[in-house]
Amino acid sequence: MTIRTRRSLAAAAGAVALLIGAAACSSDDPASETGGSEAAGGDLTVAGPIPIENLDPHGAASLDAGTQLAARAIFSQLVVSNGPGEFEGELAESWEPNADASVWTFTLREGVEFSDGTPVASADVVASFDRVLAGEGPLAGNFGGYTAAAPDESTVVFTSPTPDAAFLGKVSSFFVTPQAAANEGFFQDPIGSGPFVVESFEPGATLQLAPNPGYWDGEPALDSLEFQSIPEVAARMTALQTGEVDVTWAMPDDQIAQLRSDSNITVENVASPAVFTMWMNSSTPALQDSAVRQALWQAVDFESIIGSLYPETGTPADSPISPAVLGYAPQEPVEYDPEAAKAALDAAGFDYENTVIRWQFSQANFRNFVDAVVSDLAEIGVTVEPMEKEQAVFLEDLLALNWDMNLQQLGTQGFDAATNLGRLYTCAANRMGYCNEELDQILAEAGSTSDTAQREDLYAQASEIIWNDAVGMYPMFVEQPYAWRTSVEGFQPVPDGVPYFDEVTVSGD
Amino acid sequence: MTQSDILLTEAPGPAAPPVRRRRRRPLAAIPYVIIGVYVLAAAIGPFLIDYDPVATEVTERLLPPGSATGSGTAWLGTDAVGRDVLAQVVYGARTSFIIGIAVVTVCCLIGVALGAIAGYSGGLPDAVVSRTIDILMAFPGILLAIVIAGLLERGMHVVIIALSVGGWVGFARLSRSITMSTRERDWVDAARIMGVSKPATLKRHIVPFLAGSVVALATIELASAVLSEAALSFLGLGLPPHIVSWGQAIAGGREHLSTAWWITVFPGIALTILVICIGLVGDRLTRRFTRKRD
Repeated sequence: MTIRTRRSLAAAAGAVALLIGAAACSSDDPASETGGSEAAGGDLTVAGPIPIENLDPHGAASLDAGTQLAARAIFSQLVVSNGPGEFEGELAESWEPNADASVWTFTLREGVEFSDGTPVASADVVASFDRVLAGEGPLAGNFGGYTAAAPDESTVVFTSPTPDAAFLGKVSSFFVTPQAAANEGFFQDPIGSGPFVVESFEPGATLQLAPNPGYWDGEPALDSLEFQSIPEVAARMTALQTGEVDVTWAMPDDQIAQLRSDSNITVENVASPAVFTMWMNSSTPALQDSAVRQALWQAVDFESIIGSLYPETGTPADSPISPAVLGYAPQEPVEYDPEAAKAALDAAGFDYENTVIRWQFSQANFRNFVDAVVSDLAEIGVTVEPMEKEQAVFLEDLLALNWDMNLQQLGTQGFDAATNLGRLYTCAANRMGYCNEELDQILAEAGSTSDTAQREDLYAQASEIIWNDAVGMYPMFVEQPYAWRTSVEGFQPVPDGVPYFDEVTVSGD
Repeated sequence: MTQSDILLTEAPGPAAPPVRRRRRRPLAAIPYVIIGVYVLAAAIGPFLIDYDPVATEVTERLLPPGSATGSGTAWLGTDAVGRDVLAQVVYGARTSFIIGIAVVTVCCLIGVALGAIAGYSGGLPDAVVSRTIDILMAFPGILLAIVIAGLLERGMHVVIIALSVGGWVGFARLSRSITMSTRERDWVDAARIMGVSKPATLKRHIVPFLAGSVVALATIELASAVLSEAALSFLGLGLPPHIVSWGQAIAGGREHLSTAWWITVFPGIALTILVICIGLVGDRLTRRFTRKRD
């Protein structure tokens, strides 16, 4: 018997949150009354596609899009990635690797304070880093063997046992919290050095933020920022159209055309590092054989599924990582061929009768895609049971390998293959039950060299192994669609679907 | 009772008009006819229309009613992954009836048995049953069902159990109150004096008098069971995805309400009409049996 969290309650909570939000969010903000041409603040309400369940950027949810979204508003990173190989200092003023890129020295920016007034010191960075390692969450997988030290107040030194040229990309999703983060209950009312501070937080429902007057880069102009969770897509779209919500993203393709026709709404797609990733659990006996996994991949007509379901935002993928990422190398596309797939499964002795592939996913917008894939696999006699899970349960099961097939829209932090291929596909990470020593070696080598051309070449080899061994199916590159009301100014869509709001203002029209 | 029935129907001349007037209202038959159509659709529809809930045809998604598809004409359109809506309505009718009838049968058996025993015996059994009823009545039935369906793995039997847990209460209360009044009747006293055993007295002299009211209640409960099943499926609880149900079909169309209304509207209409018709029949039965008992 499995105890499942009840989606319905979350939905009900979401609906209640929506109602409260509708009452609280004043789209007619007072700035417009004064008629001032200067856009002064305003209240911004944001409804992302993934609920914020947890504010802890170090633990099990550290790479969850909801947590990252909140963390970018509340906490600060050392560096921010702006594209493949491009970084900008946030808490770090400057940084310097040693000759073989195994020791990274960061100099912290002067005068940055947490919202309670204490300065951000190198000890906080080290404590946060140790907390990430101790938490053994998905982020910790980036930093195997690392140690951090603080030789003085404003210097942090990260030391890796092996050279690691991709460290900047990895560390760009690492957030610094005060040392008190280790205390029980800290994340109920966290203190950070980001542009916003937490007013109130209801997991999975709403996160209410106020600008941080002491933010080092200037207090955000917004009067308030609210993240809402509206699980129902139709409700989210309606909320955007009526002005209850000002910004949303990751809308389903079916809704984009309708939003485009609304003159109050700006719609923009940006190329993203995200790839639809369907790992197959290689530790499941039925899926151990790579021939079986390849055959399953071959049996799905992804081209027509993508063409029909994602005409706006999808393109068939030809690599486990997107072209927007350093280390991308195109692979031979997998041709749809159900007969060959069936023959290969027969040859591999696949047990059609007794195998039920449990396929987990957490987002409602995957439902149609999942149904279509399940249908194609059923056509060759393979039974797949789709299991839609609550986000928190999904994450827990994901790490526990409690699934046979998994569907995620997998991004690449820092636009560097190291944080995707290098982090997830090693034997030590054991994220999909797949272990290949040759691949391990290539990934280790790629992580340890600082020569970009060589790294690209090594990641190309790694991609080839992952692709040909069908560690998962990689059907689609995703473009990230954003939609915001025209009253919102200064909003920058970002490729990874985790936008910043510190430079946004809302003019009340 | 039986005698008065015969008297009424056989009474000639002036006594006949009230009966005839009832029969002359052709509109009164409509709910029965509609329910008949549903039963027919649920029983033989699946043999006429071929439908596999797992099979999708993404290239034929969101087609409006009447569109031609690769496998014929989608008279009620297709859903977001290209499945035929008409087939979903027909197969959903079958699911609704199976679950509705199973739930009502289980509730009816448990409720009548417990109610009759409690009402006839009094004392401790009555106290136990009555307090259990009180406790269960303190929870909204659908809430109990959501909790149970949420905790257990999905499956049709889970839905039946979840809806039955709170459903038998009505039957038990009804049976108990009728039993308590019937117990005082002369023929029950006579049976008792003659030394007829308790179970035999219950079976022979009391339960037959429950039949009418229980049937009326069962009809109303059927409507609420069908509705609750749809509610559970709508919330994504209970039935696994490979069993077609109206609730799931309606839920599946929510995202497309503004562009593809037919996905939600047709199963919704099917559900509404069925529940209204069962309700009308139930009301009529209730009126009839309540009047007679008095």
